Amino acid sequence: MKKIDSMSRNLMLESLKRYAQKHISFDFLREHDAENKFPAELLKDMYDPKVLGVHLLLIPVEYGGLAGSTSDIWRICEALARIDLGIATGVFATFLGSDPLNVGGTEEQKAKWFQKIAKEKLFVAYGATEADAGSDLVSLRTRADRVMENGDIKGYKLNGSKMWISNGGVADLYTVLALCPDGPSWFLVEKGLEGFTQDHHEDKHGIRLSNTAGLSFEDVFIPKENLLGLVEGQGLQQAQAVFGYTRLMVAAFGLGAGLEAGETAVKYAKQRVQGGSPLVEKQGYMHKLVTPHFVKFEAARAYIDNIAKKLDVDNHGLATEGAIAKYYATEAGNNCAENAIQALGGYGYTKEFAVEKIKRDVKITCIYEGTNEIMEMTIYRGRWQEHLKTRGTYFSSMGDELNVVHQKDANLGADSIALGLKALAILLEECRAQRLTRHQFVTFKLGELIAEAEVAKTFCEDLGNGVIAEGSKFDVETLKAMARANAKQVAFKIASEGMKLVLGAGQSSAQDLMTKTNFVAIQDLQRGITEDLDTISSKLKEIF
Amino acid sequence: MNIVVCIKQVPDSDKVKVNPETGTIIRAGVPSILNPYDHFALENALKIKKDTGGKLTVISMGPPQAVEVIKLALSLGADRGILLSDRAFAGSDTWATSYAISKGIEKIGNYDLILCGQMAIDGDTAQTGPGIAHHLKIPQITFCENVSIANGKAEVSKLVDGGTLDMQAELPALITMTMPSDYLGIYPSFLDVFDAQDKPVETWSAQDVGAEAKNLGLEGSPTRVDKIYAPERKVQGEIFSGSANELADKVLEFLKQGRFIK
Repeated sequence: MKKIDSMSRNLMLESLKRYAQKHISFDFLREHDAENKFPAELLKDMYDPKVLGVHLLLIPVEYGGLAGSTSDIWRICEALARIDLGIATGVFATFLGSDPLNVGGTEEQKAKWFQKIAKEKLFVAYGATEADAGSDLVSLRTRADRVMENGDIKGYKLNGSKMWISNGGVADLYTVLALCPDGPSWFLVEKGLEGFTQDHHEDKHGIRLSNTAGLSFEDVFIPKENLLGLVEGQGLQQAQAVFGYTRLMVAAFGLGAGLEAGETAVKYAKQRVQGGSPLVEKQGYMHKLVTPHFVKFEAARAYIDNIAKKLDVDNHGLATEGAIAKYYATEAGNNCAENAIQALGGYGYTKEFAVEKIKRDVKITCIYEGTNEIMEMTIYRGRWQEHLKTRGTYFSSMGDELNVVHQKDANLGADSIALGLKALAILLEECRAQRLTRHQFVTFKLGELIAEAEVAKTFCEDLGNGVIAEGSKFDVETLKAMARANAKQVAFKIASEGMKLVLGAGQSSAQDLMTKTNFVAIQDLQRGITEDLDTISSKLKEIF
Repeated sequence: MNIVVCIKQVPDSDKVKVNPETGTIIRAGVPSILNPYDHFALENALKIKKDTGGKLTVISMGPPQAVEVIKLALSLGADRGILLSDRAFAGSDTWATSYAISKGIEKIGNYDLILCGQMAIDGDTAQTGPGIAHHLKIPQITFCENVSIANGKAEVSKLVDGGTLDMQAELPALITMTMPSDYLGIYPSFLDVFDAQDKPVETWSAQDVGAEAKNLGLEGSPTRVDKIYAPERKVQGEIFSGSANELADKVLEFLKQGRFIK
């Protein structure tokens, strides 16, 4: 089957950028943001196959689409987020809404509906969340009761409600998860059906160009051919099959929006002269407010790129990796946007500058597609199983692999992250021995530390293998400085915060833990971080 | 009407910086684009092709990655893409480059109209287009705002000091195009890009086009770039302070002293 090649991917990204330059001014975004207005015409134009056809990325080639790979879609998601996260969310909602059809639809269902979505530029919405069923879809209450005729199933009657549905008030087609007699199932629901109503557009903190609304179903009749896969009870597996993939897209949103804020801050700092020199030349300003975020973004980029390539081979699974990417990149994006306001001072606090809007927008990436606390728990659960299965060697083996990377190239910080991974294995073992994971907070924190460790590992390892993530603007030497600074800080964080956690919740001896985690060696390797951050700051000044 | 458009991949000039110590261009993080003047020429060629039919071929000379701009042209509707790429071309100045491209165009053959951008934004010489016309011994009109075909001739508006000059040229002819100052190039839809994946890009060497080595590269180039540098900013600004009235007086005095006003 024909796939988009990397050159074409870059041409599509360029087309999207040029489209935005021509049609999406900052004034347009500000006006729609202020009026809480969904730019329907603009999105229909972006969906037009003769203009851009951005929605075709998720549609198989045989139905008029482009069958974009995970690598294609994350890059487009990053680019969309740099334009506007509300618009990006509108497009993503169509991707997400089409996913159950992709995963669970029969060939006939795919042929019928994908061709309609492609040609008629349909807005699609993904209707899963309910008042009591957010990240916990098992608590689903919307019912789909069978409608019988002469002993056969003629269709279903939907009753219930959904909330926080992106594109909820504007979609032409909805994929709705409801509880059938044989279990949760996905249904295709067209707008305008009797008994199907949409609530008002939510007045949100950010992503105000994205329509968000609740849905109500009162005896809405759905013909049986609109049950995806034509078999009841497959809904939860179908939903979970694509979490790795969909969360990677939200990770790309965090990265794109965060980078936009960060680059705005660097450009401002180059122009703003205080005390006789531009802010960009002031070490404290850069090291506190700007530079560390770019380190995290490049680490996130390396990780997203790495996982996307794995998902290109098989578009399912990797739920833990998807959670790591989503958690890490969205926290990085959100933190950078917060500091970008600070970096612009009073200007950053006004609506005249984009960072104020980006900060409001990017916060949602820490919430939707599973809150970041759910991500921490998912990461912890996934890796805790591995820790138990391997009798505590899961992370220490990773550490051994990184020592091999360090032998090949001593400039990547792989020795630091190797120590960090080994310390993580020790800390997890302490948690197991003392049953500390009965404390929910311990599981959250472990999820955070695991995410940091695995991202830092991938960043070092891929650079060591000569792999530079797609879309990076930095040269190899700067990326190495970033990987080094990141590895050192992550190792220190794992050891220090992990020890704090274990000591606070359990009965360990501090001296004993210090020795076991090799904390002094980790501290010794902190040397050089300031120099590396200086190098990175100079590069930021040079290229933006 | 068979048209050939000459295109070049260039660094996005807004983002190019020169390292003051080494005198080299900093390429890290600088995206490459289709030279905007060539982009405009291509857009005009596509319009003519739509009206008259025929075949539109794009030709570029550069390293292998220059294939990106050819793919862009193919996505936008060009029928055939040719890249002249060979170590023998490296270091060619505008004279040697126009010789090599003219040899490529001779090999394409059967052309009616050649369109070029007025100049490339990374060199600003505006010499390659005229050089190609010279080598091919065909008429040329430079600095044209538009081009159309009427009665078997090329009709153009040529930009001159204080206005434009309407001119005609017998075909085959070479036209170099200028562009509006706010020009944003046309872009292909995602489907057009995807479809263009099936259009091959042909790569031709010096030998393929029958170009003689003595006319190529550094040996075939009568000009040399001595040094690239960003001009030093020597003029220091002057900062005034005081009340609004005092400031107005000071600015007025400054303007009078500098004879900016009387």
